[in-house]
Amino acid sequence: MQKIFITGMGAISSIGSTVDEHLNALRSGKCGIQKARFFKSRYAEDLVFGEVPFSDYQLKEFNNLTSQKEITRTTVLALNAFKEAIHNAGISAELLKSDRTAFISSSTVGGMCYTDELYSDANLKGEPSNYARSYEGSDHTWRITKMFNIGGVVDTINTACSSSANAIYMGARLIQTGRADRVIVGGADSIAKYTVNGFNSLMILSEKACKPFDEHRSGLSLGEGAAYLVLESEDAAGKKHKIAELNGFGNSNDAFHPSTISENAIGPILSMNLALQMTGIKPDLIDYVNAHGTGTMNNDLTETRAINTIFKKVPPYNSTKSYTGHTLAAAGSLEAILSILSLNNNELYPSLRCESPIKAHQSRPIFEFVRKELNYVMSNSFGFGGNCTSLIFSKCI
Amino acid sequence: MYLKDLSSVSPQVTYTEEFINGDYIIYSKNILSVIEPSYSEIIPASLLRRMGKAVRMGIGAALPLIERNEKINGIVMGTANGGLENCINFLNQIIEYDEGVLTPTHFVQSTPNALAGQLALMSKNTGYNVTHVNGPLAFENAILDAMMFLEGASNKTSLLLGAVEEISNYNYNIDLIAGRYKLENIANNDLITSQTNGSICGEGATMFIVSNDANDALAKIINLKQINFPNQIDLEQLLNQFLIENDLIPDDIDLLILGNNGDVQFDSWYVLLRSCFPANMEYVYYKNFVGEFRTNSAFALFFATQLLNGRFHNHKGIQGNFRNTPKTILIYNQFEGIHHSFILVQSPEPE
Repeated sequence: MQKIFITGMGAISSIGSTVDEHLNALRSGKCGIQKARFFKSRYAEDLVFGEVPFSDYQLKEFNNLTSQKEITRTTVLALNAFKEAIHNAGISAELLKSDRTAFISSSTVGGMCYTDELYSDANLKGEPSNYARSYEGSDHTWRITKMFNIGGVVDTINTACSSSANAIYMGARLIQTGRADRVIVGGADSIAKYTVNGFNSLMILSEKACKPFDEHRSGLSLGEGAAYLVLESEDAAGKKHKIAELNGFGNSNDAFHPSTISENAIGPILSMNLALQMTGIKPDLIDYVNAHGTGTMNNDLTETRAINTIFKKVPPYNSTKSYTGHTLAAAGSLEAILSILSLNNNELYPSLRCESPIKAHQSRPIFEFVRKELNYVMSNSFGFGGNCTSLIFSKCI
Repeated sequence: MYLKDLSSVSPQVTYTEEFINGDYIIYSKNILSVIEPSYSEIIPASLLRRMGKAVRMGIGAALPLIERNEKINGIVMGTANGGLENCINFLNQIIEYDEGVLTPTHFVQSTPNALAGQLALMSKNTGYNVTHVNGPLAFENAILDAMMFLEGASNKTSLLLGAVEEISNYNYNIDLIAGRYKLENIANNDLITSQTNGSICGEGATMFIVSNDANDALAKIINLKQINFPNQIDLEQLLNQFLIENDLIPDDIDLLILGNNGDVQFDSWYVLLRSCFPANMEYVYYKNFVGEFRTNSAFALFFATQLLNGRFHNHKGIQGNFRNTPKTILIYNQFEGIHHSFILVQSPEPE
């Protein structure tokens, strides 16, 4: 079976518009969660968000798209990260056209990020808006496919908060089964009234910046962004610089509740074990876990339990959502990239704002910057609908 | 990948043998809503009340399959839009209550992965679970995902594979202003020969048990291919390439299942496809039964499986040129000339 290498990465979130800016933010402990500047909502005053610090117009300007009125914020965020990833991997326009190049994206809000316009169009109020043909979850995927003439398999996944982790999974399987030589994988989501009101109705939004794994945590902070990785088979990567190897992935369903995880962490334990089995290593070789760590009472307690069940000696773990907020569909691929930054730089970044760790377990997340030799890292993503996915990456020497 | 069992909730009475045995419904309006089974045996009343139509009909089609087959190892779904009625109901509340205090039911039910999650929950299935939302190719991507999962399995493994799409007034409106539906009323049995722009709207849930084990299989999915943004020359080349990759020539195909939807702007693609085959090639349509919706190639696969098993002879609703029970079927569907797919299906023991 073909090995799978990461040969390119691109990311945009509240803490940076490039992968390098993300590294700098992690090293300096910069948090992107604050009062929203561009998101218009009654909650813009009351809550804090991991908002990408640019207006829709600015984002379009960076990407030469100001004339295209039908392009949504989700699409332009996706495009920004996509371009960085293919540039980083040196994928030519010609290679993108090949039927051996696939593109697997993901989003939860997709093209429905402009709630007011969608309301008018769905209820036939007034003239159709600019976005009348942009609402589907796959809208950003198809626009990017068309812009770059992508010739191979194209897909969009929505498994809620684990969406882009499953895009990585799907892309990896395309390479392993010989259906593609290279796959651009990831996801994008923008802050929208739809999701903000949805999470608010579930009463899991924190008023202040989220405090993952803190005993007194009070919910999650919504973020936005996009992140893409270029996966290539060993043959396709050739002598190219290999950033990391994707060694294992596991997918399971918690089969417990539509919007919470089971107390005994059935789904998370399964997905982590499946990823370990595929990697073929014992748990004690995992040097760092990038946790799902949303900051909700339910997720963090359950995930801590899962980590303490799987690992006899708990490896360092953190939630980088304490920097970026929860970027929903983008979280899986964004956190895969942040995990790889830790791995390749041999650096562990503190989980922000965890003052008194969860009492029910002995373990606590990383609380200060540490330099440490890292070889294997795990990234977890769990979503509504019980969708759990774990990924394991290792260094390329 | 072998297809072991199947079930469909559609605008025809497909959850019993009624439709297969020859009865079909002619609709005089452009919205073809599903004929739903009684859910009382399948879904507890307390759960049913809170379920949107997509989740409800998906469970109605899927749960009996899960219950009557060996334990499945996972669930793979395709849906372009998921539970739209709930989605836009929630959206309407956001606007009408100015983002006030809202109840989460609509939000949780509206996420496209709600069906796969609910099915996992109701059948206590902790296995592989993915939902593809790739617009008009969402079901094709779900097939590909299932194929890859089964290829990677060393033991006897099976999955629930399916697709769901619901009509709501809202998505009907959105597609209407996007120019996707006919402005004049047309009966579904006149759809294929229509000479105007747009199609008529349908919905449905179609579910399959797929397995890497050939025992008692109803059909075998040989392969599939997606093509995006092609020109017409591409299509012919890509068809030939697809057949060659699967060791076939055009003469090996016994029957084409065509996705004609009566939209005069795009139905010429099917004429082009037929021209790649011998003039006497047999073919049938399917959207005259269920209308147009993003994942209706799942219904085409349901139809193909029944045809491979000798059904639908002398069915009075069949349109096309169909005489002999086929052994190899090519399903071809396209959406607005932009997204195209081939699905190659065979009877499990051809020749």
